[in-house]
Amino acid sequence: MSKQIQEAYVVAAVRSPVGKAPRGMLKNVRPDDLLAHVIRAAMAKVPALDPARVEDVVVGCAMPEGEQGMNVARIGALLAGLPNTVGGITINRFCSSGINALALAADKIRLGEADVMIAAGTESMSMVPMGGNKLSLGSSIYERDENVAIAYGMGLTAEKVATQWGISREDQDAFALASHTRALAATANGAFADEIAPLEVTYRVPNLATGEVETFTKVLSADEGPRADTSLEGLGKLKPVFASPQKNGSVTAGNSSQMSDGAAALIVVSEKILKEYNLTPLARYVTFAVKGVPPEIMGIGPKEAIPAALKLAGLQQDQLEWIELNEAFAAQALAVSRDLGLDMSKVNPNGGAIALGHPLGATGAIRAATLIHGLRRQGKAGSYGMVTMCIGTGMGAAGILQVL
Amino acid sequence: MTAVLSPKGAAPIRRVAVLGAGVMGAQIAAHLANASIPTILFDLPAPQGDPNGIVLKALDNLKKLKPAPLMSAGRVDAIEAANYGSDLARLAECDLVIEAIAERLDWKADLYAKIAPHLAPHAILATNTSGLSIESLAASVPAEVRPRFCGIHFFNPPRYMYLVELIATQGSQADTLDALESFLTMRLGKGVVRAKDTPNFIANRIGVFSMLATIHHAQAFGIRFDVVDDLTGPRLGRPKSATFRTADVVGLDTFAHVVKTMTDTLGNDPWHGLFKTPDWLQGLIANGGLGQKTKAGIYKKNGKELLMLDPSAGEYIPAGQKASDAVKALLKIEDPAARLAALRASELPEAQFLWACLRDVWHYIAVQLADIADNARDVDFAIRWGFGWQQGPFEMWQAAGWQAVAAAIAADISAGKTLSATPLPAWVMQREGVHAAGGSYSAAENTLQARSNLPVYQRQLYPPRLLGEAAPDYGQTLYENDSVRMWLPPTATGGQDVPVLSFKTKAHCIGAGVLAGVQEAIKLAEQYHPGLVIWHPEAPFSVGADLLSMGPAFMTGDFAAIEHMVAEFQATSQAIKYAKVPVVGAAQGYAFGGGCEFLMHCARVVAHVETYIGLVEVGVGLLPAGGGCKEFAQRAAKLARNGNILETLKDFYLAMATAKVGTSAEEGQQIGYLRESDIVVMNANELLYVAQAQVRALAASGYRAPLPPKAFPVAGRSGAATIRGQLVNMLEGGFISKYDFHIGMQIAEVVTGGDVEAGTLVNEDWILKLERERFMGLLKKGKTQERIMHMIEFNKPLRN
Repeated sequence: MSKQIQEAYVVAAVRSPVGKAPRGMLKNVRPDDLLAHVIRAAMAKVPALDPARVEDVVVGCAMPEGEQGMNVARIGALLAGLPNTVGGITINRFCSSGINALALAADKIRLGEADVMIAAGTESMSMVPMGGNKLSLGSSIYERDENVAIAYGMGLTAEKVATQWGISREDQDAFALASHTRALAATANGAFADEIAPLEVTYRVPNLATGEVETFTKVLSADEGPRADTSLEGLGKLKPVFASPQKNGSVTAGNSSQMSDGAAALIVVSEKILKEYNLTPLARYVTFAVKGVPPEIMGIGPKEAIPAALKLAGLQQDQLEWIELNEAFAAQALAVSRDLGLDMSKVNPNGGAIALGHPLGATGAIRAATLIHGLRRQGKAGSYGMVTMCIGTGMGAAGILQVL
Repeated sequence: MTAVLSPKGAAPIRRVAVLGAGVMGAQIAAHLANASIPTILFDLPAPQGDPNGIVLKALDNLKKLKPAPLMSAGRVDAIEAANYGSDLARLAECDLVIEAIAERLDWKADLYAKIAPHLAPHAILATNTSGLSIESLAASVPAEVRPRFCGIHFFNPPRYMYLVELIATQGSQADTLDALESFLTMRLGKGVVRAKDTPNFIANRIGVFSMLATIHHAQAFGIRFDVVDDLTGPRLGRPKSATFRTADVVGLDTFAHVVKTMTDTLGNDPWHGLFKTPDWLQGLIANGGLGQKTKAGIYKKNGKELLMLDPSAGEYIPAGQKASDAVKALLKIEDPAARLAALRASELPEAQFLWACLRDVWHYIAVQLADIADNARDVDFAIRWGFGWQQGPFEMWQAAGWQAVAAAIAADISAGKTLSATPLPAWVMQREGVHAAGGSYSAAENTLQARSNLPVYQRQLYPPRLLGEAAPDYGQTLYENDSVRMWLPPTATGGQDVPVLSFKTKAHCIGAGVLAGVQEAIKLAEQYHPGLVIWHPEAPFSVGADLLSMGPAFMTGDFAAIEHMVAEFQATSQAIKYAKVPVVGAAQGYAFGGGCEFLMHCARVVAHVETYIGLVEVGVGLLPAGGGCKEFAQRAAKLARNGNILETLKDFYLAMATAKVGTSAEEGQQIGYLRESDIVVMNANELLYVAQAQVRALAASGYRAPLPPKAFPVAGRSGAATIRGQLVNMLEGGFISKYDFHIGMQIAEVVTGGDVEAGTLVNEDWILKLERERFMGLLKKGKTQERIMHMIEFNKPLRN
């Protein structure tokens, strides 16, 4: 058990709807604006809280450059209208950035160095591609064989996991279909209503005939990713993209996570603040762990991180009532679930990244919001939930929350 | 320079409307777009949704059609969608209106009445019909438009088929047809044949007759379809698809439609009895077997196995049988007269069959010439350009000995062996041939007719030539060795004379003789001439380095000799680039490897639209070492912004590493082999004219050769390491072999400047040295040697 002087409580957890990249409704919404939107929406959940009490804003972003460069955390905080006394720090551990932001924010409170923190994540994959705008590898990575996989694309690592763990194409496709089915059901049931902050998107279209810019707005209030037309047959027709038929490639666009745009923000406070402002805590932050694995099988990372986090929390695996296991690829999600014997009814009950999308650095924060509101909807106050994911270049991360 | 676009002041054709967005209409519009001509494509208003829905769907379909009707996807933007419901007023903007709706006289008449009030007073109205009489269509055209009305018959697919038949009516103005012919020739790059207004015009009339006669004789002599195709394809100087596969490609329904036109409209034709679709073919069509488009016709594929219809059983049987060796040997006889005599004399059914097919086509064209064409030249070009025969039927006859063949045909007529008893026309016996220096024979006029003197043909310095015509004059030799000839064309069309360098090697491949010849020609041009054009009378531009010539050095392990040749190659490329006078490359067809590198070093390239250019060295396990890597490294440095050389270099790299070949000159520009400043011409026969004009223009501008860059930055070790990351993924994913990876890294390390830091300044010699070293390194590898031998032996790349 880690030592702390006080607990950290989540009092607001909101996210944007997740747009498809690079052609969805959020393709022209800048990630700094998207971040400002979720910070404002989170603050609006706790209107009593004095914004000047926010100590710092920790924002996860996997490719922090270009539109999401320039320390997007500070820019987002200012754009959201937080007082300029509030700090901002952008952090990056690729796909775990969002949950890492929550861990770092909570730790500041647990140490007693802050009473109010904002943890967030933002990512526009429409604007900044995976690998960034200028991918550059050094020749040193080829000097030792075990480092060559630093150059591997994520899809190739998923193929390696599929081969090593014997995950069939059929199982991957079935898993992908289930993700869509669950996501569609959750959307239809309003399961995301408490977490999604609908977004008004402004379109500026030049009318070439009149020479005027025509402006209109549309509201995006649901995730764009889930597809009702997904079927095993359709998934089965897709060609593997990361490995050739000779290599028995099985990872397709259909059983991989979607490229997405999105953001989320959580407000974390101390018990003192709960009392001072009479706030209702949604969840208590418990712990976070990260573990490294060989880069060529990065997808297996959660298998190491999940037990590590449980150990830190002093919990048993069966005490987890809800597990948000990021579906980077069906292959790795299945490999992790099978090896750990996860209860699949509790893994991604509302669907995962294959259906809902995966805006890299934002995902951890987004899924934390899903987990908190999901368990609360189930009326399981006091129960534990986890957000976990694999991370490029070979890591796994897991964060645990207790829903109140 | 003479203005040669529009004869006699006819209005230039700047904007075109195409009526009917069916397969032909849409593809004609696409080819107009290829030619950068703003085009409005009309069809009926859609019953639901966007009123232009029908056209929009057709435009969308253009992007998917194979072979591609558009030279690049963006070309579709030159086509505007419109509908007859609301947009007819837009016709007033158009100088040419091509009607390409369904083959129904009443529908066409209705449409003409509807559009006539909207046509500009100068606009040409042309109908793209293949079966209807132009004269009867003209009758339904309002009187004021009739002088500007004519037939225009494109062949499918219009981007690739050179032939367009133009058909005048009694009332057509000569100016109109001349303007259209000039436009089609120069702007659309087509070969125009004037046809008379008879059913199916010239090409389809003769071409389909030939197919029907072939089908008839195949049955009579009991020759299987696959053997027929083996006999009537390349062995006879005709396309690989020969007879039955051509029918499958054209579409059996289309073929039957053309036959039906002949059945319906050629009642007086003495061969009328032949004009029917055989029962087995009708059966295929009735069952939906329409050929290639339905994946089943006379042939079909069962997995990898090729099947063909056995007409007697009505079932598919395995195909692939070839002609007998005895007949194949007869077809290899060099002398055409001896070859034909041997076929006739042979008692082998396959030989008898071939003679019968040839005889009946000759019989038919002799009888029909007066009715269907102005002269024999138009028949031969129509068949060459419309059916892909290397020689037209009259040419073949003349080559085989006119009188001897005529006597043989006459004998067979008397013996009742021919498909019609009609005697040969009297003129046949009175002549020694139909093509002569003075022109080609007109049966209607009983004279020789000279070629068209339209100004547009002055742009074709060496137009396609028929056997029997005067031999072309390739001017005065300025310099010559075994592999090249530098010469001065006889008549300059203005300004200073511009010498031409032509390669004499097979497929214009580049060996030591070409390298020495190019360097010598440049020295002479620098001394005595305004510049130099590299042009050959026929495609391709060049298939690249002469691998065979490396053979001896290869066998004896004399790598020093090969390295010397590589250095000479580079020296030649540099000589082209830094020549004190402009060197202009005139390219058509393939421009591979060293051929591509020569063009990359030219002051300017004039490329035919159908130029297929690429650095394909990896196919033989090598890398571009004639300056190709160097040019790309240097261009990337020049294009790079904010020091991000790799951003521009990676596309160039990928082109080399994947041996990417542009599917048109325009795509060659997009990939970067050709530059934006290079000139693309629509008609290959105009290449030399335009290339000479470019030399004159460059010379007139006070040509300054480029200065060798003192230094330019390279992407360095990080660049190579980043590229390596991509290759690692491809290798691990099983998309490339270990040896592909090795070659890929050699190219990467050359093009990024070797083992230096990113941004390091180097010069051209630095990259050229890397090219040489890595080229030699690859050449010494067994797997590269296997690839080279495989290419020499099978003309196909080996992946190992």
